[in-house]
Amino acid sequence: MTYLENKEPPKREDRLKTCITYGGTICGLSKKSKSCCINDSERGFSQGSICLLLPALGMINSLPDNVVLLHGAIGCGGCSHSQNANARSGGNLRWGKVKDALWLSTALNEADVISGGEIKLEKAIIEADRNYRPATITVVAACVPGIIGDDVDGVIERIQPQVSARIIPVHCEGFKTKIWATAYDAVYHGIGRSLLEKPENNKNLNISEFEKLEEKYKLSRTVNLLNVSSMGRVDEVELSRLLGALGLETNIFPVFSKPEEMYKVTHAALSISTCPTHDDYLVKFLEEKFQIPYILRHMPIGIENTNKWIRDIAAFFGLEQQAEKLIKEETRELEAALSEFKAFFKGKRVFVSAGEFRALATAYLLAELGFEIVGVRSFHHDEFAETEYEKLEKAVKNDFTINIANVQPFEEVNLLKKLKPDVFLGHWNGNGTASKLGIATHVIYNTGLSYIGYKGVYELARRLYRQLKNPLFNKKLSKNARLPYTEQWYKSEPFKYIKNQGGEADE
Amino acid sequence: MSSFIERPRYLCALGGAMAAVTALPDTIPILHAAAGCAGNITWTQNGGSGLQVGGYCGGLSVPSSNIQEREVVFGGDVRLREQIAGTLEVIEGKLFVVLTSCVTEIIGDDVKSVVSEFQDEGIDIISAETGGFKGNSYHGYDLVLQTLFKNYLERGIDKVKGRVNVWGIAPYQDAFWRGNLEEVRHVLEKLGLEVNTFFTSHDTLEKIKQAASAELNIVISDIYGVEAANVFEEVHGTPYLVTPLPIGPSASDSFLRSIAEALSLDDSVVEGIIEQENKHYYNYIEPLTECYNDLDLQRYAVVIGDANYAAALTKFLSDDLGWLPELVVFTDQLREEQKPVLTQRTQGLESGLQPKVAFETNGSEVLRHLNEIRPTYSSGKYSDVFGPAFVVGSSLDRELAQTIGAAHLSISFPVANRAVLDRGYAGYRGGLRLTEDLLSAIILAR
Ligand code: SF4
Repeated sequence: MTYLENKEPPKREDRLKTCITYGGTICGLSKKSKSCCINDSERGFSQGSICLLLPALGMINSLPDNVVLLHGAIGCGGCSHSQNANARSGGNLRWGKVKDALWLSTALNEADVISGGEIKLEKAIIEADRNYRPATITVVAACVPGIIGDDVDGVIERIQPQVSARIIPVHCEGFKTKIWATAYDAVYHGIGRSLLEKPENNKNLNISEFEKLEEKYKLSRTVNLLNVSSMGRVDEVELSRLLGALGLETNIFPVFSKPEEMYKVTHAALSISTCPTHDDYLVKFLEEKFQIPYILRHMPIGIENTNKWIRDIAAFFGLEQQAEKLIKEETRELEAALSEFKAFFKGKRVFVSAGEFRALATAYLLAELGFEIVGVRSFHHDEFAETEYEKLEKAVKNDFTINIANVQPFEEVNLLKKLKPDVFLGHWNGNGTASKLGIATHVIYNTGLSYIGYKGVYELARRLYRQLKNPLFNKKLSKNARLPYTEQWYKSEPFKYIKNQGGEADE
Repeated sequence: MSSFIERPRYLCALGGAMAAVTALPDTIPILHAAAGCAGNITWTQNGGSGLQVGGYCGGLSVPSSNIQEREVVFGGDVRLREQIAGTLEVIEGKLFVVLTSCVTEIIGDDVKSVVSEFQDEGIDIISAETGGFKGNSYHGYDLVLQTLFKNYLERGIDKVKGRVNVWGIAPYQDAFWRGNLEEVRHVLEKLGLEVNTFFTSHDTLEKIKQAASAELNIVISDIYGVEAANVFEEVHGTPYLVTPLPIGPSASDSFLRSIAEALSLDDSVVEGIIEQENKHYYNYIEPLTECYNDLDLQRYAVVIGDANYAAALTKFLSDDLGWLPELVVFTDQLREEQKPVLTQRTQGLESGLQPKVAFETNGSEVLRHLNEIRPTYSSGKYSDVFGPAFVVGSSLDRELAQTIGAAHLSISFPVANRAVLDRGYAGYRGGLRLTEDLLSAIILAR
């Protein structure tokens, strides 16, 4: 049975035994393998992090003709203020029009907490439908309705006949899972259950046999390229270019997908993920329900990873020869362009921090550029990444530090003080600590920048070169800004607050 | 009233509280919350606070108990105790403020008693109940001030003549918070006063602890921090004065006079300062005169903002810049009894203009209000349209500006499209800054 028959997706702790605590080295981690960081281990001291609501909104805020209706307290979903920049520029790049994302809040107050928020939600759905006339309304449930026990799905079922927009529930009760990657499941779940049917007026009846054949051929060469907002338009263009070189068409899904075109994801010949952390839930569903096979393996960040990613796809379509030709040409051109940077990067020490797959793939890329990897921090750990650790272990000679943490800059600062890297790559709102230590920094994810494919390797190299060439902003900052940690903490063991079986330190 | 709030221009009480605590000197927030709240607040600042995120211990560095389903079922007291103990070991701070969230308040954790265990050990630690459902950022800011006044300030100390406290601007929620506070401090210091503003780099915890020695509290907001002023008066017996945020010379003149009156300062001294400041102001304005005329820089205006800005900007546009603000929109969630005073602030303008006032939390409704005043587009050869126009609002009002062909400047939250550091619009100098920014937006393509 597919999970989509349930109202809500399971949390990842249960489905994938995902965890967020580990401190040790790469060798230690590969020795421990799956038991490395025991499910549900904890920290005795922790810093704030994000919840699944944020990445979920990152995806949903991009959908055109959609109204996001947050069901929660007034603050939940405020993150849309920064995601709006992506909605604006992303829309502009794709359709030449700048438009703000549209999110609303039911703004639950004290009275609602006592008497329940269902009536308010009902009214808000009706009013949103009437005021904005959207194709879809995504009702995003935050913590409060989860605790006071609002039956969000019940309200939607009840109210759907009265509104013309399609209503999609997305469950994002932050306290229910500490693995925010559950967000991708939550959004895919909502879309998968409600939006994949071909709209009636789109079913062309008068279509000739020839057109039918043509369409069939086209579909046999169309692949779903999944993007949960971890790539910007530049990266989509790069991957479409590479797939196009193999004669394949891409159907990008689900960010910036028009509601009337979402059904297309059920017609493709193959689904391709750029990151198993993101897409396993959807690709398995598409296979089960629509018999669409999938590839869920490599993240096309870095030269070798991009080569592997292309080879997997080519093998599926029997295009191995074309792929080898493409790879040869691309890598030759790229290597030539990289040579001046490589000399400069040689031996420079780098530390990366991001979602697990991205962190590992980027570390691999950096090793290809000649950097020495001194540490990798991943936001969580699950089974998909085992092969990535193996790849990385083979590619780099030295042992290095691994830390699984849902951000937790206190562990990071402790490690950075000891490891003293030349450059640090961290996620959104995750570079401040390294900056204040005077280390050159670069953001590892930003939808306005290029990271993916061959082009991504070159552009990232170019940006790192620029950061390393003049890191004075951070250097000067470090002389004048304070970090909020005690001297005692810098002297402590970095993984001191990881309880039970989470780290090597406990052995 | 709408059953939802469109693109809320504020966070929850916890969001405002966390921002306020991180803005206090050497002060560390400890969130008793689910893991996502800190991130949500951080992302919001990232998108709306003029490129300012965090502070000394803000952003994703804030200690947070990150409670989960288990605590929801069994209670979070144990986890909170452990988290506070860990914070004291890892984080360097002089004052710690525990902030509760939606989840921990609904499950009913006894935060006060956990906190008092640490107080008994002599730790400077206080708490505030800032569950998100209790109100928005501004309310959270007020709650932080309340707990500070009740639980941190030294009690029973003597009042010192000439000492005042100033508040009424919510950090990060007002992207210009630092510049505004600095400028208010600056004009008050001209009066010879000793000023504590809590949140700027001139303030220290030592002085804050002594804040009850002030003879007057000045709340430069009709709404934000007024409840805290009541608490202050109850606990420490200090009276307070509520004034609008003074932007530009006209408002600053009145501001100084009202302070002088409340403190019975020498009239001639105050008038002397007012004269001097105006002279300085117009000395800068003077060379603008030719271009201001030649380029026809007078504008009709729509002002959209929070309770502080909407009224204060209207006053400046009308009475200093000589523009025609015809519509003022307050985007806050306000109680009925809070509205009259705000409406009144936008009336009685020296220009004689009587702008239409709307209380509207949904930004997309502003165009409807505007159309009720006069057409926004030409409908024939002779039509008295709303133009040339300017939209002074937030970055969410760019679509409106585009629709009516107006220039635009983001001032009220969110300010997504500007970098703000020490810029402020309060006081005389703030009026100059604002004139620069407004006119620069008009002549952008010149
Ligand atoms: S953890 Fe809960 S209350 Fe906090 S932002 Fe996420 S959904 Fe909202």
